[in-house]
Amino acid sequence: MTLAATPAPGAAALPPAIDVRGLTLRYGAHVALDNLSLSVAAGSSFALLGPNGAGKSTLMSVLSTLRLADAGEVRVAGHDVRRASRAVRQSIGMVFQDPSLDDRLSAEENLDFHGRVYGMPGRARAEAIDRMLALVELEDWREAVVRSFSGGMKRRLEIARALMHAPKILFLDEPTVGLDAQTRNKIWAYLEAERRTRGLTLFTTTHYIEEVAGADQICIVDKGRIIAEGSPEALRREMGQPWLHVTPASEADYAALLAAFPEARTPSPGDLSLAVTGESFVPDLLARFGNQLSALRYEAPTLEGVFLSLTGRALRDRADGAREAQRSAGRRAGRR
Amino acid sequence: MTEVLAILRGIHGVWLREIMRATRDRGQLLGGVSRPLIWLMILGVGLNPYFRGEVFGEVKMVLPFNYLQFLFPAVIVLNIMYTSIQFAVSVIWDREFGFLREVLVSPMPRWAVLLGKVLGGATAATGHGTLVLILARFADVTLTAPQVFAAIGYMFALSFALTCFGVVLAGKVRSFEGFGVFSNTLILPMYFASSSVFPLDPSLTRTQLSTSYPEWLLWLIRVNPITYAVDALRGILIGFHQFPAMIGYALVAAGCAGFFAWALRSFGK
Repeated sequence: MTLAATPAPGAAALPPAIDVRGLTLRYGAHVALDNLSLSVAAGSSFALLGPNGAGKSTLMSVLSTLRLADAGEVRVAGHDVRRASRAVRQSIGMVFQDPSLDDRLSAEENLDFHGRVYGMPGRARAEAIDRMLALVELEDWREAVVRSFSGGMKRRLEIARALMHAPKILFLDEPTVGLDAQTRNKIWAYLEAERRTRGLTLFTTTHYIEEVAGADQICIVDKGRIIAEGSPEALRREMGQPWLHVTPASEADYAALLAAFPEARTPSPGDLSLAVTGESFVPDLLARFGNQLSALRYEAPTLEGVFLSLTGRALRDRADGAREAQRSAGRRAGRR
Repeated sequence: MTEVLAILRGIHGVWLREIMRATRDRGQLLGGVSRPLIWLMILGVGLNPYFRGEVFGEVKMVLPFNYLQFLFPAVIVLNIMYTSIQFAVSVIWDREFGFLREVLVSPMPRWAVLLGKVLGGATAATGHGTLVLILARFADVTLTAPQVFAAIGYMFALSFALTCFGVVLAGKVRSFEGFGVFSNTLILPMYFASSSVFPLDPSLTRTQLSTSYPEWLLWLIRVNPITYAVDALRGILIGFHQFPAMIGYALVAAGCAGFFAWALRSFGK
């Protein structure tokens, strides 16, 4: 799952794999993409992170020539998406969020169809099918009808299919949603192997933090705009906010702490979350209130936290739900 | 040149997938076989003795054909209508289950994708029409080889036009269930109101026709394009026309071009 932070050798000399300038797209009055600009180095792993409805899928459909922008210039693999859409489509591979295999055909037939549609001659097609089935370890399932596949197998087959015509850029829309950790690791291993051996550029959109921790470059989008950009480490370092979660020993201690830190957040009754503002914050706090606390936990900066502090919202609905459950559990406990 | 070759490979690939799906769809295949059997072997055989007229107290055939021979070409058209129009389900399926996107992000031009798909659907429908030809012997229809080739060629053109029409319908209908209802309320009325199961006696004058049939039915039959499609095939198979054969050919040709252009506009949106 961890991807090397260094781009493939020789990548610096290449023009960017994706170059977007001033991209704007509206659905009626709603602005889906708002003057968005970004650049992805060839051979790198790029992740687009944002909540549902942030404009990720819209951006993806513009980059894959399925939708035309209202304004702005978009170049993919060196071709303009408006003027040379077929050249763009020949150079990219797509793994969609929802399965897009024909589940009445076998694994081999799905790949063969893809090869034909991408204009590959017979021998090249046969070789690519063998190589790709080996890459995603589905050789034993060659003749099996896709309907009988598990979710993880379908995903692997889709990745094999998307890589079959040797694209320069692979787009992955929420590639490992709903898959177990083992399958997820396998998938990233295949992708990393392709990136190492032939300088494939990876463009991933996701709202799962775990998925992008290994990316070279992360772009956080919200409401059609880029709100932060950089390597995962840099983002965490620059924008991440460490937190100190404390549980005061008594109600009097709770009141005293709240008086000292009026801006503290209260995640659940009886607990306080304090923003760590400097290196001396924790020692100072312990010196003043150390004997008034029954529990204390330090939370290092996370990308989730970066997103939270940038937008004031959690990245995904699941997190909202978890927090809600925690809160109501706390309420119930408090009543007792 | 390599460009053209790549597009041809793509069209072939799309066509091949439609053929694989059609031959693996048992239900559709069963319908394609049972429908002509029911129409010819039960309805046709059952009504055969009553297909005659009484002229001056003397019982005669109105047409120089028996009912089975008259009905035979119409059953072929019915089989083609079902398979072609049901092809829309394949288009809706691709759209609803995401497969369409896989094709739309490929380097194939949109028209080539549609052409491959429609050729595939038309091939399947022609196959179902040809299945009926095997029953010719039971319908007292004797066919020469040139007749068979002409019939298959004409059936393919008709299938192509109707398949394109199915794609147009697929663009208008949002669900599978909706389409089932839609196709049934469309196919059978079109078929019945087309002089397919009863003849308009050509020896009668216009006034005589009007006394045998209500005016509205005659009007429906005359504006129904299926009337002319059936009539042209009847000409090929049993040499009997109620209308000039050219109308049928011209309508089918216009249907191929017109519906393909219309289908292309709605396809992939």
